[in-house]
Amino acid sequence: MVSSRALKRWALVHKWTSLVCTAFLLLLCVTGLPLVFRDEIGDWLSDDPPYAVLPAETPMANLDRMVETARQRHPDQVIWYVFVDDDEPKVVVGMLPSPTADRTLARFLRFDARTGELLKEIEPLATRSLSFIDVMLRLHRDLFADLPGELFLGAMGLLFVAATVSGIVLYAPFVSRQRFGEVRRMRSARIKWLDLHNLLGATTMAWALVVGVTGVINELSQPLFLVWQRTDVQAMVQPYRDLPVPRPDELSSVQRAFDTVRQALPGMAVTSVVFPGGKFGSPHHYLVWTKGASALTSRLFSPVLLDARTGRLTTVVQMPWYLRALQVSRPLHFGDYGGLPLKIIWALLDLATIAVLGSGLYLWLSRRRSPIEARLAELQAAE
Amino acid sequence: MSDLRRVWSWPLALAGLTVFGLLSALLGEGGVWWGLSWLSLVMPLGAIVFCVVRSWS
Repeated sequence: MVSSRALKRWALVHKWTSLVCTAFLLLLCVTGLPLVFRDEIGDWLSDDPPYAVLPAETPMANLDRMVETARQRHPDQVIWYVFVDDDEPKVVVGMLPSPTADRTLARFLRFDARTGELLKEIEPLATRSLSFIDVMLRLHRDLFADLPGELFLGAMGLLFVAATVSGIVLYAPFVSRQRFGEVRRMRSARIKWLDLHNLLGATTMAWALVVGVTGVINELSQPLFLVWQRTDVQAMVQPYRDLPVPRPDELSSVQRAFDTVRQALPGMAVTSVVFPGGKFGSPHHYLVWTKGASALTSRLFSPVLLDARTGRLTTVVQMPWYLRALQVSRPLHFGDYGGLPLKIIWALLDLATIAVLGSGLYLWLSRRRSPIEARLAELQAAE
Repeated sequence: MSDLRRVWSWPLALAGLTVFGLLSALLGEGGVWWGLSWLSLVMPLGAIVFCVVRSWS
């Protein structure tokens, strides 16, 4: 049993962590709701032309040609990456004004992977009018404030985790006289909402903790990649340190980089080739992202570095534990790894969390008649 | 039944089902693992509906 002094302290923790984070958590839960269905909404709102109907075994068009098309259309931009989809016959070429420019300045050119034909061009986020999903995503990820916003929401996530843990500690003394999940609806509104708060919290606590913790880890993705770039990647590209950075016209073939990695790692699928000089890579290398084929390994991306001048494979990079944790955190936060039924369950659990937050807020607002400390004292007096 | 067990058996069982459901879709190769995932993750929601209906009837 937790002592009454300790309980009082936990009650304080629960009250203050919740008070600080509730408004932001409500925002995260509400914006997260459409984001669970972001692929479905995207498909539904999409005005993209349909892909050409071609036989299933049609080979992929040459990536170099697509990159060349992109360069010709935007000679003032540099190639950021080439992404090869494994769901649809789609290749996306991302371009930036400079290799280290902000990602909201990136424009994207979408090609048919088999014909190499340019299908659509997406203007930079910074200049185009935002779609509904863009707005939800920005609010959810960083409140339109980039890295500071991400860190701030990460801190709110940590408070939410603390609020959940302290809520779990406080649960037992509040319900020890009731059977599980009993809602005393005939008593005051406050008692009814307290019981609902306890019921919803107790049934969804594991999900809330998992989504909370993985959300915090996701908010740390920029600093984590930066740490990796400053340590591991720096060490790997140390031998290249004194060489001049390759000019765009000195870069070797993207298609060859793609093929080289595919041959070197037969069990892996190549998902993208990042051009040299980007924020998280090396100025001398293509950074080629690969992924495995099983349910789990398809979430675990591994990078390969290729000398951007010669196209030769430099090293297959071992990912550090903190980036592996980040990669596993993504599906566990997004709920996008078990088909549409899982997404629907995710949305319902999200709604339950909104109800926990809302009922908690109500309990605090109606506290004057019965603050949490008084309730605790009452319960302990009755023991 | 002890107080502790009475208070915690349901929340812990539902937490166990949640963790199982989250992992089975992540580690299992589709098919039956997805089905098991949906089934176990729907349990907490089912428990909420059951308790609310029971209290209101």
